[in-house]
Amino acid sequence: MTADVPSQATKKPGKPIWPKIPAGFVRSVLAGHSALGLAFAALIYLVCFSGSVAVFAREFQRWERPELPAITAVTPAAIQTAMEQAVRRIGDSVEHVYITPPTPDLPRLVVMTDAHGKHETFAADASGRLTDTGEPVWTEFMTRLHINLHLPQTWGMFIVGLTGVALLSSLISGVLAHPRVFKDAFHLRWGGSKRLQEADLHNRLGVWALPFHVIVSLTGALLGLTTIIVGVLAMAMFQGDTSKAYALFLPPIVDDPRPASSLPNLVAALDATQRLSPGSTPSFIGLEHPLELGQAVVVNAALPNRLVAADSFYFDGKGQLLDASQTTETNLGEKILGSLGPLHFGWFGGIVVKLAYGLLGLALTSVTASGVAIWLARRRDKGRPAPRWERIWIATVWSQPLAFAASALAAILSGATVEAIPLIVWGIVTLASLLATLAADPARLSRAMRLASGGLILLTVLVHIVRHGAAYADPAAWWMNGALAIVAAALALSVWRSRPRSAAAA
Amino acid sequence: MSPELITTLATAPLLAGGVGAAWLLRRAWSDRTARRPLWIVAGWVAVAAVSVAPAFILGGARGPFIAWTLISVAALVVVVQGVQVRVARQRGEKSLAPEPSDRVSKAWRGWLRGLLAGPLGMIAAMGVAIAFAAFCPGAAQTRLVIGGLMVPVLWGGAMAWTLADDKILRATAVLVGVSVVTFTAAMLRGFS
Repeated sequence: MTADVPSQATKKPGKPIWPKIPAGFVRSVLAGHSALGLAFAALIYLVCFSGSVAVFAREFQRWERPELPAITAVTPAAIQTAMEQAVRRIGDSVEHVYITPPTPDLPRLVVMTDAHGKHETFAADASGRLTDTGEPVWTEFMTRLHINLHLPQTWGMFIVGLTGVALLSSLISGVLAHPRVFKDAFHLRWGGSKRLQEADLHNRLGVWALPFHVIVSLTGALLGLTTIIVGVLAMAMFQGDTSKAYALFLPPIVDDPRPASSLPNLVAALDATQRLSPGSTPSFIGLEHPLELGQAVVVNAALPNRLVAADSFYFDGKGQLLDASQTTETNLGEKILGSLGPLHFGWFGGIVVKLAYGLLGLALTSVTASGVAIWLARRRDKGRPAPRWERIWIATVWSQPLAFAASALAAILSGATVEAIPLIVWGIVTLASLLATLAADPARLSRAMRLASGGLILLTVLVHIVRHGAAYADPAAWWMNGALAIVAAALALSVWRSRPRSAAAA
Repeated sequence: MSPELITTLATAPLLAGGVGAAWLLRRAWSDRTARRPLWIVAGWVAVAAVSVAPAFILGGARGPFIAWTLISVAALVVVVQGVQVRVARQRGEKSLAPEPSDRVSKAWRGWLRGLLAGPLGMIAAMGVAIAFAAFCPGAAQTRLVIGGLMVPVLWGGAMAWTLADDKILRATAVLVGVSVVTFTAAMLRGFS
């Protein structure tokens, strides 16, 4: 493919659209952009890559547990039965119960219990009978890596939030340091100078997907920094009492620890939700202290064509309404708050928007990778190459597809029984990839790791099929296996296309 | 027809519209004649139309966000379609891209820059956001959430500025001043 680049003969000097930016200013901003990008490159890359995969968390959840049949709808009585059975299995220590009714992208009835921080997850059939226990451990590993890097929750989320701020800052300085934004708007020159190729890739992917980049970095930064923002706000305005800040968004729930005579009546709560929000479908049900007299139920009800996650209704144990937060009546702040999650993860427009988010997420990941590659190529052009950093960066970039594939394979092989396995395997493969930089040049390392990633993904698909005897109760597993096979083929193709010239000629 | 199916079906014309809009802008980019402004206007009108139209079918807030997501993908498709494949060269081609400035590199400047871009920038951004929440009219939740959204934007802006500005002491004075003034004002005013 070649571009119909305008010939010099037909060019007439016209007035530039973009205001002239002083060269000194651009050079200064570029120096800051470079310093920030290099300081945060690995973290931004990891968060962007894991985020691109996490867009499909619900699909991976179905793929990991394909023996559970897809359920399109359940009755309130079935939800009540599932909740009662889960509480009975855990016993008196249950503090919270979280129920996810079936939705179009996750057609499962899932009940999670929380007993003093110990979580148990159960799947139920359409009648509410618990059929299975156990979490999709690889999906949990992958989403936790994106949300808090498997660090302690508060610190991990702060670091991810800080990474979001660094990304947002890089976007601001990147736009300011790009005086040729219109002149080069459609240039994508491939295969010539390494630096020009990487710069074209970096700038085109950065500029044309800018709305997406800004949305995910802004929402991600806010989601990650919420704890510290609320903490500082409370210190400055509420005498250090963070609960006063949270109380503005949550209804007052009276705590009464005396034992309750019966479990909360979810049938009454769900029936009331239907009356209060006609046409909605429950997307989440949360139970606070279900064994105490102060038991409370929150029902989130999703309405079609809304960006905001859902209407929220709060009930007491008997199903009497305590408080409501409906999207038609909430203020702008509550609407924005409710739309942060869907906008960040791309869960607001069905599978096509999810696919677009996955692609644009990988584009942002490539922007990060190419940013460092430009710096390395610039050093090489100036006669100051940094071969060790070239190897380390290549290993950092391609270690992640490899480590993700290896961890998924380990989770499938181990039967998803040990929660720590994917994290351990991911850590070992990432470390081994970085150690491999001692032995190979960047081009060979890149090809070997891409080929290994493709091979491992394909092997994961085959093991998945064999392990489940090719008899999936949920057909989504076939779709996911197909998609993974395409990714493996794309990686293999990229290796074939980048093979050395002598091999290509032979 | 289910809402999910309507959304999926609506994405096809949105993607096609996005490709069309990007193609018009690409035409403007490659056309250096007097017709160029027409192509530019046509391209941006198409972008606006593709952004607004889905609001009527897919939801007032949801529709435009779906459109912007798909327009980005469509524009990248047009960019990739026009890729120029070149012969690899050992020596780098002459680049028109600006070079980063070579700055004085002293350890104390590096540490101060890090402090400004990190903790001090964060405190200043939070000060402005909390002062906004304290002084602006409107519902408490709206003031707090918009204030919260301001924090990453202002902190990111402060990061970009302090890492770019060669006059590092000026940046220090501004960030310290902003932090002191905004936190003091917000604490004196209180939250109501």
